[in-house]
Amino acid sequence: MELFLQQVLNGLMIGSTYAVVALGFSLVFSVMRVVNMAHPEFFMAGAFGAYLTIRHVTTNFFGVLAGGMLVAAVIGLVVERLAIRPVRGRYVMIPFIATSGVGIALQHLAERVFGSDPVAIPPVVPTVSYTLGQLSVRNTKWGRATRAVAERPEVAAAFGVDVNFVSRLTIGISALMAGAAGVSIGILYTSAWAFMGLLYGLKSFVCMLVAGNRHIEGVMAIGLLLGVLEALVSGYVSSTLRDAVAFGVLVVVLVFKPGGLFGSYSV
Amino acid sequence: MSLLLRVRDLEVSYGAVPAVKRVALEVPAGEIRAILGANGAGKSSTIKAILGLVKARGTIELEGRPIHGAPPHRIHQLGVAWVPEGRQLFSTLTVHENLKMGAFARGDGPRFASRVDEMFALFPLLRERRSQLAGSLSGGEQQMLAIARALISEPRLLIMDEPSLGLAPKVVQRLFEQIREINARGLSILMVEQNARQALKIAHYAYLLEVGRLAAEGPSAALMASEDVQRVYLGG
Repeated sequence: MELFLQQVLNGLMIGSTYAVVALGFSLVFSVMRVVNMAHPEFFMAGAFGAYLTIRHVTTNFFGVLAGGMLVAAVIGLVVERLAIRPVRGRYVMIPFIATSGVGIALQHLAERVFGSDPVAIPPVVPTVSYTLGQLSVRNTKWGRATRAVAERPEVAAAFGVDVNFVSRLTIGISALMAGAAGVSIGILYTSAWAFMGLLYGLKSFVCMLVAGNRHIEGVMAIGLLLGVLEALVSGYVSSTLRDAVAFGVLVVVLVFKPGGLFGSYSV
Repeated sequence: MSLLLRVRDLEVSYGAVPAVKRVALEVPAGEIRAILGANGAGKSSTIKAILGLVKARGTIELEGRPIHGAPPHRIHQLGVAWVPEGRQLFSTLTVHENLKMGAFARGDGPRFASRVDEMFALFPLLRERRSQLAGSLSGGEQQMLAIARALISEPRLLIMDEPSLGLAPKVVQRLFEQIREINARGLSILMVEQNARQALKIAHYAYLLEVGRLAAEGPSAALMASEDVQRVYLGG
C-alpha cells in the first residue's frame, strides 16, 4: 500500500508536468491553429533558467520558479516573433516546420552554451508541487477575445482585437507554464540538459492527442493520468516498459478515436 | 454633404489573380450605398479591403484620413463595423458575450449596459436569448445578433456583407425595414447584396461590379430604371 501511494504521488508529480506542457501545446493550437514544435524547448529553457537563477541570483524556491518562467517566456516571445507570427494562418505544416527548426536550433544552442552533459541543479528546497491556477479563458475581456480569435480570427480582428497581441499572449502563457514545469523537473532530478525537451515534449504532445485539444480539463486529466500510469508500471512491472506504455496508449486511442477522447479542433 | 468614406483606384489580387480592378466609390454621411454584382464580381474583396482584412493598393480614406494599410483592429477603432457574410458569430459565446465582443474596443463600462438595452429594444427576441450560445439561434436571430454586435460598437460606418443571404423572404423583408430604420437614425451604411431588387429599394445610390470592375453606378432609382441593369441583375 505504501509503495502504491508513493508511486501515485510520484506519478502525479510527473503527470502535472505532462499536463502543463500538454496544455501549452493545446492552447496554442486551439487559439492559433499552430502546432508549436518549439514548445518543449520552453520547458528546457525553464530548467536552465532555474539553474542560472540558483547559480547567480537566489536559491529561494519562488525566486527560482520565477527565474525559470521568465527565461522560458523570453524564449517564447522570441520564437513567436521569428517563427510563428510570420507564418500564422498559412497551411498548418508551415508553422509546424518553422517551429521544429527553431526548436532544434534552441536545443543545439543550449548544448553549445551549457555542454552536452546535464548540469547539476543543487537541491534548493523540497520540491513543492504547485497547483496550476484555473486558466482564466472564461470570463475576462482578453479571455473572451482569445476564444473569439480561436473561432474566427478575421471577425475578432475586425472588432478591435489585436491578433498579434493575442498571439504573444498565448505563446507567453504557454511558455510560462512550460517554464514552470521545466523548473520543477529540473529540481526534481537535480539536473538540466539540452535535449530534455524531447521526451517530455513528445509525451505531453501524446497527452494532447489522446485527450483532444478541445477541453483544457481533458488535457490536464490525461496528463496526470499518464504520469500515474507510468509510475505504476515502473513500480510494479518494469521501468523499461514505462515509455512503451505511454505510446501504446496513444496508438490504441487514436485507432478508435482519431480526434482524441474529448474531441479536437480541426485545422 | 460630408464624405465619410472615399475609395480610389482600389486594386486587390490573390496571388496573380486580380479580384478588384480600379474601383472607386464613396459613402456620404447619412446614406445607404449598395455594391451589387454577381458571385465573384469582387464585392466581398472590396469591403474586406476597406476593413483592412486583405492587402490592397489604392487609397481608402475615412473622413479624409487615409486608412489603407492599417491593421483591422485600428480601422475598427476609427468607427468602422462589419456584419460579415453568413453572420460569422462567435458560436461558442453566448448572445450577451457576443455583444461584449462587439464592444471590445469601447470597453464594457456603464455605457455598455445602456447600449445593450438599446439593442434589445431594437431586437426584442435577443433579450430572451441573451444567455444562449449564439450557435443555437435561428438564421434570422443570428442575423439580428450580427447586426447588434456591429451596432454596439457605435460605428460611424456600418459595412454589411450579404445580409439577406440564407434568410426566408419574410425575414428578409423585415430585415431591410430594420436596416432602413437604423439608417434613419443617422448611421451610414455600405452594403454588399446579391438581392439587387431589395437593396435598390433601400439604398440611395449603388455601384455595379462586373468581374472586378465598376460597370455602372448611380442613384438607385436611375439604376432601377436602366434597361441594362434590369436585364442583367433584376431578371427581366
